Amino acid sequence: MTDLLKTPREWPSILLGRAGAKDPLDLDAAVAAGAFEGLRAAVRDLGATATIATIGASGLRGRGGAGFPAVTKWRTAVDTEAPRRYVVANGYGADPASHTDRTLMMLDPYAVVEGTAITAFAVGATEAFIAVRQEDSALIAVLAAAIGAATDAGFLGFDIHGSGHDVSITVRPVQGAYMLGEETVLLKALEGKRGQPEQRPPHPAARGLHGMPTVVHNVQTLASVAWILAHGSDAFRSTGTHDAPGTILVQVRTPAGQGIAEVPLGTPLGDILKLGAALPVGRTLKALLVGGPSGGLLPPDLLDTPYSFETLRIAGAHLGSGSVVAVDDTTDLVELIGVLTRFCSAEACGKSIPCRIGTKRLAEIVERRERGLARPSDDTLASDLAHDIVASALCDHERLATLPLTSGMRYFESDLNDPRRPAPAPIEASR
Amino acid sequence: MSLIPGLGIAKGMALTLRRFFEPKVTVMYPEVRVDVPHKFRGRLQLLYDEWGTLKCETCFQCAQACPVECIDMGGMDTRGRYHVHWGASETYGERREESALRRSGRPVPDPAYRPYEPVDLAVVDTVLEDFDHDPARMLDILEATQDAYGYLPVAALKRISHATGAWYAMIYGTASFYAHLRFEPPTATTQAAAVAAHRPAETTYLAALDAALGGAVGGRAAGRTQA
Repeated sequence: MTDLLKTPREWPSILLGRAGAKDPLDLDAAVAAGAFEGLRAAVRDLGATATIATIGASGLRGRGGAGFPAVTKWRTAVDTEAPRRYVVANGYGADPASHTDRTLMMLDPYAVVEGTAITAFAVGATEAFIAVRQEDSALIAVLAAAIGAATDAGFLGFDIHGSGHDVSITVRPVQGAYMLGEETVLLKALEGKRGQPEQRPPHPAARGLHGMPTVVHNVQTLASVAWILAHGSDAFRSTGTHDAPGTILVQVRTPAGQGIAEVPLGTPLGDILKLGAALPVGRTLKALLVGGPSGGLLPPDLLDTPYSFETLRIAGAHLGSGSVVAVDDTTDLVELIGVLTRFCSAEACGKSIPCRIGTKRLAEIVERRERGLARPSDDTLASDLAHDIVASALCDHERLATLPLTSGMRYFESDLNDPRRPAPAPIEASR
Repeated sequence: MSLIPGLGIAKGMALTLRRFFEPKVTVMYPEVRVDVPHKFRGRLQLLYDEWGTLKCETCFQCAQACPVECIDMGGMDTRGRYHVHWGASETYGERREESALRRSGRPVPDPAYRPYEPVDLAVVDTVLEDFDHDPARMLDILEATQDAYGYLPVAALKRISHATGAWYAMIYGTASFYAHLRFEPPTATTQAAAVAAHRPAETTYLAALDAALGGAVGGRAAGRTQA
């Protein structure tokens, strides 16, 4: 299990409030600590319309990386005429190096289950799915046990809280590819099809799983939903920033260690980094990789950038999988950019041609740089190509796959053009 | 834009008219044939650009036109095997004929050859029962089938297609898309090795992250086992 990092006392604990429980699956203890209070408030006191209004007032935004307002999805799903609707909790955790979603579900499965039930109740869905990685059998067991216990206690299943509304939640293990973290791709996999994204609009909230309105949320979003309903939208708004209230889980990795912390949105990157262990003596911070394998590389002088959706995007990174990796001066940045670009290229699903071919060409450009064979036209070529890939993007993977290279070119020009790299091999004479 | 309307077309027609009265270079092949030596084939040459890479666009026109089929185009695939490339099937279908296969060292199809191994289909029938013959649960069906056989035999896929009503091509497309599904019995034995084999990009990424951080962190697999 990944360690939880100690955070300053004044930071609120929204997602991991019950994380200290001895047995996360002990339903009585969890209920005593406040679990399923939000569901009761939503079903008994508020009703569906007021629940949606509460989420709207809280300003909750999706924790999956894009930061889409949660209430917009709910309203779209409710406004679309359909015989049935679905809720999908995305706990796939596509980034293999980030355990934030998994940690939340392991430490407080009831928060995710409760949030899913509230969402299903509010949008009028009777079936909900929690998608997780198939190889993670421990997590699947925990979630199945949590759903079972909650159903037995009457929080889920038939006629919850006497409202006449049924909600059944199923754990759906999926596996196969990095791309499954993307919502339309995940829905395709749940339908038993190739994991390839769909053109949007229509958004999944209007036309998703099996053609029905489907609300897809990251598990952290759902846990926040449960907290908001229990504590009110004003309390939620008091944390984070005006545009992005609330907290988010961050996976911090430094050469000295790693861990997961719950961080209010808008916290400067430097403060997040301080939660991790200090760098070993004699090493200096070279770069921050923010956002996972398709994240951006940021230089140390951007340490006061607030950790939030827009600010990171402007700086050339994104929230992504909630991973913040500190890289010190012993790391070869060109090699790292190469690995990231190749990863993004290898994981491209192949549906859109600029992504399938373009990322491959970008990987080749970085590889030429790694081997000291860079051509004078490469920089222009790379930025043109990256621009075209992003402009023709079908999904967020494509929109972000160029980030490691473009952010590297933006901030680490001197590393990319390091004269100590191997000398270019002589060009074979043209005949 | 020219100031006199129609000047452009007049210029163009004037050029056409001039060419009309010039001696012709085009020969009405094959009625008329230019007198070239019997064995003349032009000059076969691959050109390089200023960076030393081949200018060949792999259009296959030379291979298509070659009268004695001495030109082929080949290359290494991702597993390091050499293949002759054929180009678009509808255009180059004739190059799949026996002699071309033989020259490329590929097995020549035998009409009496059985296309797939017969397997015991009772297993896949049980799997289909479990999932209600529902094509919307195709991934679950395929995964359960693979668990049962160790891989996805063609005969089983055909049975799944027949029973669920999903096209064989769609099933094959889905099965070949996901890296964890395979069409041959596995060679890697341990779980970690299997994951590494079907997720090479993920493994490389974790290894690189580890290297960048001085080996201080474990990958997801490490986190998994202790949980």
